[in-house]
Order: sequence, then structure tokens, then C-alpha cells
Amino acid sequence: MVTIEERLRVEEFLFKEARLADESRYSEWEALAEDDMHYWVPAEAGQDPDDGRISILNDNRTRLATRIRQLNTGVRHAQVPPSRMCRIISNVEIETIADGEYFVRSNVVLYEYRIQADKEMEVWPARVEHKLRMRDGEMKMFSKHILLLNSEGPVRGLSFII
Amino acid sequence: MLDNSRPSEGIRFEELILDDRVHSTLYTDSEVFEAEMDSIFRNGWVFICHDSEIPKAGDFVRRNVGRDPVFAVRGRDGEISVIVNRCAHRGNIICQEERGNAKAFVCQYHGWAYDTKGGLVDVPYPAGFKGDFSCHGLERLAKVDSYQGFVFASFNPTVPSLGDHLGRATELIDRAVEMSPVGRINLSGGWVRHQLNCNWKMLPENDTDGYHVNFVHPSFAQAIRSNYDEAVLQDEESLKSEAKDWGNGHTELNFSPSYSRPLEWFGCAEDRYPSYSKALREAYGQEKGDKILLDGPPHAVIFPNLFLGEMNIVRFEPVAPGVGLHIHTPMYLEGVDDDVNQRILRQSEGALGPTAFLLADDSVIAERTQLALAGKGGWLDLSRGAEREVTDDNGVVVGHLTDETSNRGFWRHYKQVMQGPDQSSPTAAAAAA
Ligand code: FES
Ligand SMILES: [Fe+2]
Repeated sequence: MVTIEERLRVEEFLFKEARLADESRYSEWEALAEDDMHYWVPAEAGQDPDDGRISILNDNRTRLATRIRQLNTGVRHAQVPPSRMCRIISNVEIETIADGEYFVRSNVVLYEYRIQADKEMEVWPARVEHKLRMRDGEMKMFSKHILLLNSEGPVRGLSFII
Repeated sequence: MLDNSRPSEGIRFEELILDDRVHSTLYTDSEVFEAEMDSIFRNGWVFICHDSEIPKAGDFVRRNVGRDPVFAVRGRDGEISVIVNRCAHRGNIICQEERGNAKAFVCQYHGWAYDTKGGLVDVPYPAGFKGDFSCHGLERLAKVDSYQGFVFASFNPTVPSLGDHLGRATELIDRAVEMSPVGRINLSGGWVRHQLNCNWKMLPENDTDGYHVNFVHPSFAQAIRSNYDEAVLQDEESLKSEAKDWGNGHTELNFSPSYSRPLEWFGCAEDRYPSYSKALREAYGQEKGDKILLDGPPHAVIFPNLFLGEMNIVRFEPVAPGVGLHIHTPMYLEGVDDDVNQRILRQSEGALGPTAFLLADDSVIAERTQLALAGKGGWLDLSRGAEREVTDDNGVVVGHLTDETSNRGFWRHYKQVMQGPDQSSPTAAAAAA
């Protein structure tokens, strides 16, 4: 069981992380990620990240930095202009992994208004698993796994921060 | 049974496809799409799967041939059948799982059971069944053949041989599998199904378009140093890579002339994977081993639906005139250390699919093109470089990387296929070249 204060801190983090992603504030979002970050969207239900099966996205910290660098060029056509997004977060469950480290499950529905080609609304429901850690009084993430309900596809372009 | 009332009869392909341009209705018109499903996807050869996906008896994978649902299954005799996924009783899906292993396929509607060849073996409440088991099997695709483990099939019992269809392009497939010291690839990595809201033909066309890279992928070039800096991102005079038309609609971007170091195509130095280079030289001899290490894998489309995308294998799937799927898997190599295959996997995730550094941008550009072609449409120009392409000793047409040699090759073959067997022959492309 986590305390009310811990729950508030965790939820505050989730909301902030979601807002920075929604608003495509790439570098501010990246600053929430620790050096051991694992950012992952599996392609199949029940997939293990190390089983040799392909993922939709499988970034260590270095590759995540590359991803953010690409978005920050301003000529990543898939996100020019950036999608307009809004994620609704619910069903937050928190477990303590170690002192000041948390495993957090949530359900997320992301509404994406795609405006790069045709104007369309896309909906991305997902179960999301974060691993968070308190460091120097600030909450950071060292893992974000996004288990898309439709990961087995077909999947439309997904070049924003999910 | 093949439908002989060809829907393409009313469409005048000779007026829509000229040597140097094509009309946009080819990407938008639903009658054209229906005609393609018949002439290309039912009458011709279509890539189904690689035999490494179904290594054991009873192993199966589901696929679509055009829009027809099928599954490929390995029988007890080791032979692969490609079977229409539709119960012979009243049409239910027979094979429900995407992949797996089965001794028999039992329909979940009324329980008819079929063996791995599609033969009917059991019917519940048999007293009421007055038919003949041998006449109630599942529909099998008339022709199944393979090359280097790549399994192709056709509904057409009189389709010319797979060898005729592949023609010289067997060399491209050879180059892909020879990236392995034992000459075997393994497609066990699973597939990512990326949907693009554009016509399926834009996928093979763009995958062998060497002209767009500077404009569609500047963010990639700025953010990532890669082998593509040398292969595709130079100015016009310095570019050594080539666009090629291998005949029969098979096309290639040949990056090899741009590479000057072994494993440059893999984005690393040779000493990164010493046992890999050693194994290749031991397997193929010093000279050929050196060449493989220098040239790297092919970047080529096998008409109509297979892309040998360097260290990836891609299937194209048409869904509707304005919807296509680009479905990819890492091309794992047999006989190499795990770290080589790990790198292949990570590069595959980086290059292809919905979140990729490259394909996400291609997909937005393709979707914008599809939008621009709505309504009455107009002509698309494919003339670039026609005057400076040359035909090499093997009959392959070779152009500058940025020239539309590959696109013209695709459309020349497409036109023959769509106009029907009377006006096309497998060797016509060679004669024209
Ligand atoms: S539809 Fe398959 S048994 Fe009836
Ligand atoms: Fe591209």
C-alpha cells in the first residue's frame, strides 16, 4: 500500500507526463526520462521485450534521445504540424517496487486529431505501465510500456509521443 | 473456379499508362482495384510466406491473397499447401488463429473437419450427409512453389512457372539469403501491420524510389548518421547508387556502389562482428565473402507484393483503393551469432512501421498524395532519367538513383498484366528492354 501523499505524487506525474506528450513538448517530456529508460510498444499481446519478436517501438535511452532529436528538427513530416491530442487517464494502481520506486498501471484513452494529411480523429486505447522513481525530490520515469489494444493491427502512423 | 468475365475489360489501360506518365485513376478507381484483385492477385504469383515461418508439420500462418483469406500449412509430407480460409460447408472461417500448429482444422460452425491438405475428413451427424467427402474439401490455391524458402502461390492453374515470373530477379533473392553464411534466413520475428491510407501501389513504388529521400527524410538525415548518408543523401553528381528495372515488375535501388567499407550497409565497422565476416568468407570464399560484406543486402521489390528491404522482409496488402498495408518482419540470418540478429531486429524497428524514423514520414507523404488524387485527378509524371538509363549485359535497365527507372519498370509490367494474357508474355519486358 502506498500512502495518500505517494499516490498524489504519482498521479501528478502521470498527468504532467500526459500533458507534455499531448502538447508535443518533446524536450520537456524527455527530461522526465531516466538514463535507464525503456520506452516500449509491443506488437503482440503477452509479448516479452527480449523474446526476439518485433515490437512497434522499443527504445532504450539512446534511441529515445534520437527519436526526440528527430522530432525537434521541425521537419519530421509525420508530425508537421503536430497531432492535437488529449489523453484520459484512469484506473491508476500503484505498487511499491523499492524505496521511492513505483510500478504504476493505468488505463489510457488517447484521442488524436491527425492533421498532417487528411483531417481525422484516431482513438488509441491502451493499458499503460510506468516505472517511476523519486530522485532528488522529483518524480522521474525509467520505464513506460504502452500496451495498445490494437497492437496486432492494422496500426496507423504513430509518430507522436505515445 | 476462375471468373473469366474479366472486370478489366472496360478499362483502357493503354490510355492510362504511357511510357512517361500514368493517370491518377489507377490509384483511386474501384473498378481498377477490382481488376487488380483478379489480374494480379488471383491470376499471377503472390508471395505468401517464408518456409521458416512454418517449419514443422501442422504449422500454419494466416495470410490474404489480395482480399481472399488463406492460410499456408505444412502437411505431414513436408509440403506446403495454401488453402482458402473458408469452410466448404457454409463459408465460416476455418483457421481462426493467426499462426500455430494443428493436426486438423475443425469448423466451429457445424464441426466439419479437414486435414492439413484441406481434405474433408469428418462431418458430424453423418447419416444426414449425402455428399462425397472428396468433393467437399477446402479450396486450395492451384499453384504453390518456392524459391530459397520464399513461398509463392496462385489461384491460376495455368499461370506460367514461378521461374518465369521471377526471371532474373532470382539473383536479388539469392543476394538476400546469402547474407547468411549458411544461405538461410529465418522469419520467426513476427510481423508489424502498418496501415497507410493510400493505394497499395504507392508502397512498392515508394520503396524503390530513390528521388524522395532528401525531401521526405531530412529529419532522419539530421538526427541520425547512417549508411544512407553515402548511399542516398549525396548531391546528384556524387551519388553512385542506382535505380534498376529487372523486368517483370521487379525493381531495385542498388546502394552497393556507394559502399567502400565492409558492413557499411549495417552501419558499423567490420570489427564490430568479426565472427560474422569470418563465417561469410569461410562459407563463400574470400572473394565472394568480401563482396557480400561490401555490397550488403538488396533493396528490391518482387512484383507484386514482396519487398526485400535490406535486412527486412515486407509484404504489401491491398485493402481498398485508398488503403494498403505495409507489413514487415526482421530478416533474421541462420548461422550467425545472436548479436547480429539483435542488431537486425533493432534496425527493423527503427526503419519500418508506424513509429519508425523512416516509414512514418513516407506514410504521411503517401496519404497526402492519395488526397491530392481525389476527384477527377490527372497525370503523374514518370519521365525522369528516361534518356540517361542504360541496359546492362543481363538486360537489366539501370538508371541514376534519383531516376524513375524503377517506377517505369513497375508500370510497364503492370500494364501488360492488366491488359491480359493475350497482350502480355513473360518475356515482353526483356524484349522491350
Ligand atoms: S460452415 Fe463450416 S461446418 Fe458449417
Ligand atoms: Fe522513404
